[in-house]
Amino acid sequence: MNRINPKAPALSELKLPEGIPYSKELLPNGTELLVVNDPNQEVFKLDLLYEAGSYYQPQPLVASAAINMLTEGTTRYSAAEIAEWFDYYGAYVDPHSGFRQVELNLFSLTKYAAETIDRLAEMATESTVPAVELEVYLRNRRQHFLTEKQKTAWMARQESNRLLFGEDHPYANRVNEADYDRVTPEIVRRFYRERILSGRCCVVLSGCVTPGIKERVVRTFGEAPRPPYPQEAPVRSFAPAAPGRYNIEKPDAVQTTVRISKHGVRLPEREYAGFLLLNTIFGGYFGSRLMSNIREEKGYTYGIQSFNVSMPDTAYWCITTDVDNAYTEATLEEIRKELDRIRREPVGREELELVKQYLHGELLREIDGVFAQTDGLKQKRVYGMDNRFYATLLAALKKTTPEELLELAQNYLDPEEMYVVTVGKTVK
Amino acid sequence: MIVYSKHILDNGLTLLCHTDTGTPFVSVNTLYKVGSRDEDPGKTGFAHLFEHLMFGGSKNAPDFDREVQAAGGESNAFTTNDFTNYYITVPAGNIETALWLEADRMAALNISGKSLGTQKNVVTEEYKQRYLNAPYGDVWLALRPLAYRVHPYRWPTIGSSLEHIERATLEDVRDFFHRFYRPDNAIISISGNIGEKEALEKVKKWFGAISPGNCRKAPLPVEPEQREARRLVMKEKSVPADMLFKAYHMGDRLSDHFYRCDLISDLLSNGQSSRLYLRLVKEKGIFSNLDAYITGESDPGLFVCSGTLSEGIGMETAEEALLEELGRFVSDPIEERELRKVINKMNAHLKYSEINYQNKANTMAFFEFLGASELINGEGEKYEEITAGQLQATARELFRPENCSTLHYLKKERQTTT
Repeated sequence: MNRINPKAPALSELKLPEGIPYSKELLPNGTELLVVNDPNQEVFKLDLLYEAGSYYQPQPLVASAAINMLTEGTTRYSAAEIAEWFDYYGAYVDPHSGFRQVELNLFSLTKYAAETIDRLAEMATESTVPAVELEVYLRNRRQHFLTEKQKTAWMARQESNRLLFGEDHPYANRVNEADYDRVTPEIVRRFYRERILSGRCCVVLSGCVTPGIKERVVRTFGEAPRPPYPQEAPVRSFAPAAPGRYNIEKPDAVQTTVRISKHGVRLPEREYAGFLLLNTIFGGYFGSRLMSNIREEKGYTYGIQSFNVSMPDTAYWCITTDVDNAYTEATLEEIRKELDRIRREPVGREELELVKQYLHGELLREIDGVFAQTDGLKQKRVYGMDNRFYATLLAALKKTTPEELLELAQNYLDPEEMYVVTVGKTVK
Repeated sequence: MIVYSKHILDNGLTLLCHTDTGTPFVSVNTLYKVGSRDEDPGKTGFAHLFEHLMFGGSKNAPDFDREVQAAGGESNAFTTNDFTNYYITVPAGNIETALWLEADRMAALNISGKSLGTQKNVVTEEYKQRYLNAPYGDVWLALRPLAYRVHPYRWPTIGSSLEHIERATLEDVRDFFHRFYRPDNAIISISGNIGEKEALEKVKKWFGAISPGNCRKAPLPVEPEQREARRLVMKEKSVPADMLFKAYHMGDRLSDHFYRCDLISDLLSNGQSSRLYLRLVKEKGIFSNLDAYITGESDPGLFVCSGTLSEGIGMETAEEALLEELGRFVSDPIEERELRKVINKMNAHLKYSEINYQNKANTMAFFEFLGASELINGEGEKYEEITAGQLQATARELFRPENCSTLHYLKKERQTTT
């Protein structure tokens, strides 16, 4: 027989996050160096950060092409030789491109640091952007784009971004198939020279950073002069559309993607902690109101969530879900009910305490370990902050009252200010 | 290196524990030795549907998620063809909450018609989202039954059709629970900021009194050797590009064959210096994307090559080019540095996988499930021993046309867009 101790164990109080100390210095050529050292690791990560995201590109696809081309050829080595080198040492090199920043990341065993760092430095400073490699890259990206374009979730994201930021804003990320034919090696090389070889660069070292590794990085990335950016950063103004319902028909869709969005809250703002809490209650975790109602109660979807995205100069908040075409209107109706409820009734004490506990655990998880802490640090750096942010945030969360949440809901979750995008097949 | 201890409780529950003081968290990973391969062919998708029901609350913890969240924890699960794996990560001080929750749902899961009805709907929507509404999402619904004729790997974990999910009854749920969700059919692995002794005491405290099920599983049908090339063409699909799949039968997870096939797939397609990528994606531009990988299941699995064709390339050209490369693998010598490269990469990969405490809990449970806990720290050695000659001999045997199932996934002719 099954005898089970029925009583739940007592919970222990959650602690504040323990930050691994980091150092920050300016190298002779103006490059910023951040080091987060954890000698217990056998691996290290090196991130090169450049202000060279799509915000600064002269035409679509150029920023991502430029950072991706760093692995595709230098004055001395071909793409195949570069790839073989890192594969041989079991290291990974990954380019990433964002709206503002692009990154080149190296993940390597500490014992092979000399081999991998030197080659990475050469890729960053002596990229040739070979025409044939660019062509392969664009052809494959185009293919990928055509696949993405078929997805209702992708279409809904594009449409929401267009409504939130305006069609021509870089954050709307508007790309057409023909754009893939318009990118030339000259345009990419020029962007590489002006935004990756010039201006601000930040190097982030994390994991097992031996004195030797640090010294090597200072030598390879900190000495050669970096000319200033040749041009002022362009000013791109937002042109948000009128709130309301926007439907895109996709006759062969099995499900409809619902994406509801509006302006959100930026990380440095005073209301950020309260809004984070509010969003979590509403749709930010597995037990959220949206999930409990629309997945667990009604079974309309496999998942529904809401989230807030903070960017350097704006923020947006969003609800997303995929539902059977037949449930679209019923889902919108339930979302509307949940919005009305959270703007009308104060959150109950019990629910609030639960979400505070959950969020505390989540935030501890967000910066658990040296690599997660480094990601957290990189993210905060954009706002001139560091991971001390977490202690402040947790203190603010602890103090937040149901009344404050109600006020935030009334101010920030007004359905009249939302873009309701649906992409799928309308069922009459 | 994962240093761990292993104990088997009187009721048959296996416990593995590894201490990692580098994290304030602890992961409690519970693996039940039941997957979609144990399903009735008329009721496929059941193991996965059941996984959803495990979050429906139990006798003393009617709201499972609530308890996890109150402890600052996180929980999820996944179902494979071979097993079902649950985990809860909590700040180490709250490990007892995680153990209590797992024990309570093992001893006395709440099973209700309402919960079953809702989760059938949720899984149906998951099915649509992943397999029907996504481009190429239905490939494995077709490829599995082509490659397997009798072994239950012929259906995917989600189930072979939506009707099967609809067919599940409360009685099925109860039977399944009493048969498979017993301590002697489970493995608990714990990794994180807790001592091994303390973990053992706590696991005994919470699980010690749950009675075993002495479940006997019928042996699974053995897939007979494939003796004829199989082909399937799927036409008029709403996708932007044609895709080619070639699936070859390979050895089981513990065989030497598995490790050799794993390295063959790495030589062919792991990283941008791999053969298929360099020759067929970059040099010849025949594919925009081309992968070789192994399914890695417990019973004999599949070695799969899958590629997206570049625009304007015909299926015949693409297939010939791929076969030519596979042929070269057998005929041309493998350079020493090339072999060293994939072994180095494998060793680095194994090191990287030991950074995260949750991964380590997973690894321990997985190898214990296979009955080969010595491999928790022993896989590196397996790869080190492999020679180029062995790889070529394995490839010669593997890439025979009569060992292969080929799927052509063809797009609808595109209307010209402006």
